[in-house]
Amino acid sequence: MTVQETSTNSGAVRRFERAADWAIYALFIAIVLGLPLVVDDVFWLNRIAKYLVFGMLGIAIALSWGYAGILNLGQGLFFGLGAYMTAMSLKLMSATSLQQGSDKPVPDFMLWNAEPGAVTDLCCINKGSFLWIPFQAQWFGLAMAIVVPLIVAFILSSSIFRLRVSGVYVAIITLALVLLVRLLIIDAQPITNGFNGLTDLGWLTISGFEFDPYMVETYYVVAGSLSVVLLLGRWLVSTRAGLILQSTRDDPTRARYLGYDVAAYQIFFFTISAGIAGFAGLLYVVAAEFASPSFMDIGFSISMVVWAAVGGRNSLIGACIGAILINTVEATASETEIFKEAWKLIIGGVFIFVVLYMPNGLAGIARDLVARIQRKRVDEGTQTATAAANRRQA
Amino acid sequence: MTAALTIDGLTVDFGGFKAVDGFTTVVNEGELRVILGPNGAGKTTLMDLISGKTASTAGDVHLFGENITNRPEHIISRHGVGRKFQIPSVFRDLTVRQNLEVAASGDPGVFRNLRLHMAGEDRARVEDVIELTRLGPVLGTIAGELSHGQMQWLELGMLITQQAKVILLDEPTAGMTGAETFRTAEIINEMKGSHTILVVEHDMAFVREIAERITVMHMGKLLAEGPMERIETDPKVREAYLGSGGIH
Repeated sequence: MTVQETSTNSGAVRRFERAADWAIYALFIAIVLGLPLVVDDVFWLNRIAKYLVFGMLGIAIALSWGYAGILNLGQGLFFGLGAYMTAMSLKLMSATSLQQGSDKPVPDFMLWNAEPGAVTDLCCINKGSFLWIPFQAQWFGLAMAIVVPLIVAFILSSSIFRLRVSGVYVAIITLALVLLVRLLIIDAQPITNGFNGLTDLGWLTISGFEFDPYMVETYYVVAGSLSVVLLLGRWLVSTRAGLILQSTRDDPTRARYLGYDVAAYQIFFFTISAGIAGFAGLLYVVAAEFASPSFMDIGFSISMVVWAAVGGRNSLIGACIGAILINTVEATASETEIFKEAWKLIIGGVFIFVVLYMPNGLAGIARDLVARIQRKRVDEGTQTATAAANRRQA
Repeated sequence: MTAALTIDGLTVDFGGFKAVDGFTTVVNEGELRVILGPNGAGKTTLMDLISGKTASTAGDVHLFGENITNRPEHIISRHGVGRKFQIPSVFRDLTVRQNLEVAASGDPGVFRNLRLHMAGEDRARVEDVIELTRLGPVLGTIAGELSHGQMQWLELGMLITQQAKVILLDEPTAGMTGAETFRTAEIINEMKGSHTILVVEHDMAFVREIAERITVMHMGKLLAEGPMERIETDPKVREAYLGSGGIH
């Protein structure tokens, strides 16, 4: 085969792969958005909405772990921050917050422990209650759900990556940090309700429309958000910056000697990933109606990594599907008593299997399949061409 | 003639041990300079000092009149220094084409790169380099799967794509077959003139193939400098190489 032919073939392979890739994205988004046409049980839709939120977490993990090579074992921190910011606003919108004997809404738990006869205004119930004041505006809580994770991630990653900390040390730092913040939240009981988290929340309300979690509209909010985040993420990794990011993952020294400020790329994508996790936290609270310190449990952050590994950490949609799939199976399995107990063991086994035998996860299998189909098509194409040429000669 | 790289009294002190000790030389624009020296002479350390990998403790490095001493690696690189490592350093999980595209860094900022396509001139440069390095047939190959020689050529190609004005090559033919070495010499000879090149090399056949001026280092210091013929007969050089069998 001549040089020219080989490069045309590789061009054809690339085009086919890209087309297959877009087809998978389109199919996924169509299924996610079209699901309510098939499933009319709102309880199921609500459940699936939560799994879609986990799918969004899978995207965040794939972006930092797969594309940037940064294993963040504390993604729950950003998810939790997003959830708490949203829940604070929604808490002030709940009916009980309006019945605390003040003309302005006050979270009920704050008064349970207050001194008898204390003022019932957010300014001075306790030392920290003033922090809740801006959350009386719902948009503030929603905005903070993304802004706070962005700021925290930016500060954290700036210090980590400027010092060229990498690999397992990043994992340890992020892991320690999520535990630290979890402790702080539990400890700040007077303003966070500690272990109990924030429950009894109001509904997300946009221009008078109340998004009851058990309504198909709420499902659409989550599904639509996931689709947008997926496409934005897809665009981001296809840009030149996305390619350069992958190069910093492969060989940071080489990237530096090509003139790239490696830390700047790592900080940018780490921060974006945190913003996505924060947005997921926001959506989760809208669908699940609570925020709890358990979002910052170590087990939850590690689960996210497992979802991404099984789905394929080098693929945004792979990690997303991995998260949704594992959670769906988990929910179904844990309805049976035996599986409920054995689930952690099964998922642990699956994780080890994936890490050892299919490092690119489900997405890797799909990619191999596409490549095989394409190779077959190219071979057949060449054969027909050769046959035609032979006939002409004859 | 303009001085491309001016090294003045460059020294690095590793707790008493001076790997490079008051080294001074001037490399002119478009020159190809070979650095020779027995093992431990400080050749690779010199490259580390120029490219910012190691911080010097005394002396200066100027690039086209601009002081680049001890700046961060990516800043030195943006000033026009490109470096090839002894062990080929390419992006092993990316395809050959992607490697070259990353090297075509018209603008290295994050936000400026939030776009899908490269600038036209960058793309044209990538095509030129593909031609020069003859990597056309393997463009879609993952760089980690290339042969040793191809990997070295890819790295050379990346330095050209990067538009490095001064190129530092650390043993570019290490581990290559005769044919591969020959091809590498061809590429380097084609780069001559348009790039200023500093090569550390042991392979004397290869050095004869490419060299114009030679600088000999010994124990961190400059021992001799001049054209090949003079260096080969220099008594100081012969003495320094005694025990390692002389220049061969």
